[in-house]
Amino acid sequence: MNLQWNVVFDNWRIFLDGALMTVFLTVTTMALALPGGLLLAFLRLSPYRAVRLAATCFVEFFRATPLLLQIYWVYYVLPAAFGIQLDAITTAILGLTCNISAFNSETFRAGILSIRKGQWNAGLALGMSKGQVMGRIVLPQAVMRVLPALASTWVSLFKDTSLVAIISVPELSYVSLRLRAESYRILEVLTAVAVIYWLLGYPQAKLVDWIHRRWKIVE
Amino acid sequence: MDMNFQPLFDSWFFLLKALGTTILLSVLSMLLGFVVGVVVGTLRTYGGRLVNALLGFYVDTMRAIPLLVVLVWMFFAFPILFGVRVDSMTAAVVALGLHLGAYVGEAIRAGLTSVRRGQMNAALALGMSRVQAIRTIILPQALIRMLPPLGSLFTIAIKDSAIASVIAVPELLRQSQTLAGQTFRPFEIYTSAMFVYFLLCYPVARGTDALYRRLAHLGSS
Repeated sequence: MNLQWNVVFDNWRIFLDGALMTVFLTVTTMALALPGGLLLAFLRLSPYRAVRLAATCFVEFFRATPLLLQIYWVYYVLPAAFGIQLDAITTAILGLTCNISAFNSETFRAGILSIRKGQWNAGLALGMSKGQVMGRIVLPQAVMRVLPALASTWVSLFKDTSLVAIISVPELSYVSLRLRAESYRILEVLTAVAVIYWLLGYPQAKLVDWIHRRWKIVE
Repeated sequence: MDMNFQPLFDSWFFLLKALGTTILLSVLSMLLGFVVGVVVGTLRTYGGRLVNALLGFYVDTMRAIPLLVVLVWMFFAFPILFGVRVDSMTAAVVALGLHLGAYVGEAIRAGLTSVRRGQMNAALALGMSRVQAIRTIILPQALIRMLPPLGSLFTIAIKDSAIASVIAVPELLRQSQTLAGQTFRPFEIYTSAMFVYFLLCYPVARGTDALYRRLAHLGSS
């Protein structure tokens, strides 16, 4: 077997651009999915049944269907059925954001519900409004509690961005699969991309473990 | 917008077979992931520091590399490296199983460490070997305690099986793509596929929760 690793080093620019796109997708999606998840969590805790039901349906649906199919759906169905034309990157961010928002909302909801009822009562007894109690007392504690879970979601999001390769977003997986097809150096290119993902992802996984240890809830 | 679900009814057998492949693929990869996970989780907990470090490296590697990359590597690069032929279904089961196994391993490890140390000491004092104690006393409790995470990992296995469409395993998403391409009805076909996946995943998640509620007392000590 003759291996030519040149193909990897000669095309470092392609890998770098792909990796940057992967990072961009991860950061942008998380930046949108944190408020998105919080909003969905509030909607699920709303006093109105219809609002609760709609939010629950959204969350359960996005959690119980494959992300790959969701991306396809956004990519093929929005233009065909509703005449909405989005470029590939926007489509990717939209699909990923809906998915991650659904997961984040469950995390936030669990965090909010984990704060004891007495704290609500105490806040209300002091004359605070419901919004004030939520914003100043419950939410800050809830967010700190769910930080480890959010960190885990971050790493799965980082990995899941590889799936938008199927709609030709030029991130790390897509550029590597294309380079594989163009150069025919299949083993070298695919091993290189695995190593690059490993170099990027391994420290993140370790960081998540550290966050889990550092902010573990001890009651 | 006009809708036409006729292509779905015309190709019902084609789609049913695809659904069967999806179920087969998810079950096989979950089985492999379960076996790998139990072995890895147990060895990491009781196998000493070196084994723990080595298997920890495997687990963290799988946590760092996307399934798509593992899958594509298994299907395209592995055969070149070892000069063997791997069909797409086998590559998918192995890649999904190894990926899932890392997560199952972590769940099992958490379950095993949650069983109090005194139980192991008690078993050893009764003259059981360590393997016997793990197999008959500690692991069963760990498995019951870890039912909820294992159930959600099973739904993840079902969802992730869709990624095998990339290497042309004839599962539900792949065949939906084929059909959508032939009939130009992406809306009807992808939406229906979405509902089918939902109907597969949702009962598994709720089912394991219900099972856990019935069995939880067996795992508490």
